[in-house]
Amino acid sequence: MAVLSACDKVVAKAKVIASKMLEVPPEEVEFGGGVFQAKGSESPGKTIQEIALAAFAAHDLPDGAEPSLDSDATFDPQNFSFPHGTHLCATEVDSETGQVKIRSYVAVDDVGRVVNPAIVEGQVHGGIAQGLGQALYEEAVYDEDGNLLTTTMADYLLPSAADLPVFVTGRTETPSTTNPLGVKGVGEAGTIASTPAVVNAIVDALRPAGVRDVTMPCSPERVWRAIREGTAR
Amino acid sequence: MIPARFGYVRPASLADAVAALASSGEEANVIAGGQSLIPLLRLRLADPGLLVDIGKLAELRGVLDEGATLRIGALTTHYELVNEPQIREHCGLIAEAAATVADPAVRHRGTIGGSLAHADAAGDLPAVAVALGATLLARGPSGDREIPAADFFVDYLTTTLSSDEIVTGVRVPKLGPGWGYRYEKFQRTAQAWAIVGVAAAVRRDNGQVAEARVGLTNMGLVPVRASAVEAAARRTPATADSLRRAASHAGEAAQPPTDLHGSAEYRRHLARVLTGRALAAAAGL
Repeated sequence: MAVLSACDKVVAKAKVIASKMLEVPPEEVEFGGGVFQAKGSESPGKTIQEIALAAFAAHDLPDGAEPSLDSDATFDPQNFSFPHGTHLCATEVDSETGQVKIRSYVAVDDVGRVVNPAIVEGQVHGGIAQGLGQALYEEAVYDEDGNLLTTTMADYLLPSAADLPVFVTGRTETPSTTNPLGVKGVGEAGTIASTPAVVNAIVDALRPAGVRDVTMPCSPERVWRAIREGTAR
Repeated sequence: MIPARFGYVRPASLADAVAALASSGEEANVIAGGQSLIPLLRLRLADPGLLVDIGKLAELRGVLDEGATLRIGALTTHYELVNEPQIREHCGLIAEAAATVADPAVRHRGTIGGSLAHADAAGDLPAVAVALGATLLARGPSGDREIPAADFFVDYLTTTLSSDEIVTGVRVPKLGPGWGYRYEKFQRTAQAWAIVGVAAAVRRDNGQVAEARVGLTNMGLVPVRASAVEAAARRTPATADSLRRAASHAGEAAQPPTDLHGSAEYRRHLARVLTGRALAAAAGL
């Protein structure tokens, strides 16, 4: 939203410069497709690049026009936006070893209007991997004297691509009503949803063994102990 | 981290390499692929005064068919162990275990000689060498020496090699007709070390287990030969149940470590489960 607002300011500045080049008042300048044009005119108009060069050269600017096209803006939302979604995880647990394998992962998110699909997809994939890492691998372990023991990536585990399933992702696109673009956030869609999805899938798989909870990260040994304690109960 | 300062020589022959080690005393390390030693240098867990680089010595390369055994040159990389037709045909357990080592970049540089001489009980090949009854071949100032794998590993990262000896190769008995094998590696992430690994080979004869060989990875300071399992499996029916019973002896005498990835108790349990699975797969079940 701040980007949109900053862009609007740039266009407004550019219209003042374009109006002199097009020899019409600023309110009669239209902008679209990267081109500034006088209303109703058939001429080629002036591209944003031409306006930018004129602003930079700054030798014949209208009175009061700044010799630049930069701007900044801060967005103060009138209300929250509410991204939402559903993540489903299917796990297979080796009941003898406690090893967890993720068989499939399906995520459908609604992050409002999507401006850049590749970024949205990347955020969801990366977020799922991060949340799954919390569920299965990541743990900062200290000894009794407070020394950190997990000091290398061989000790503090993270999932690599080889440890992850192929994610199935989908979207619904419900525009937010609290901002002009209709956008919502996507940054934490994957991280928030995937951790409980993975752990709940493990607990669900182990329900017949009497398991009601497994402490994160669900390492093979923790899962194995949970199965032993559940079965003994 | 940056390693401490060290000297470096790359001898032109094996004889020169042995001479370089002999003249430098205790402080020299042999380097080939560097996949274990360089991390130790960077962590400053190793601080040799001199590195003797044998990585270019052609005489340490190649696989030789000796009839009942294969002689595998020390510089044979994990990648070559996985792909070399003679090894796949006669020593498939080595190929299968080598395929589980780290990632492709490591497998292209790491060597069988380096892996065995490094003697990390969490490494995959030491347990395979012990299970198969392989023989380490070494060259020192007074000539060649042959060391059974069972005697080679004496402590954590420690072998019977003297400071002026170099592993030149490993002699491995071929697994003939009737033999099957499996390396079961249990790890938390795809490229991690084994929490426990099991190397098993089984010879079937008339629905019975005629012979079994089992080695355990990361179940102690040295690779462990599971002799009690081998004895219990011998002359039992080749069924999953009887092999699982035999596997219950796995790790009996072992002193597995407790670390961030598993307690000793859990490792003992894993050794039994994985040995049962490895034996069953090796028996073709």
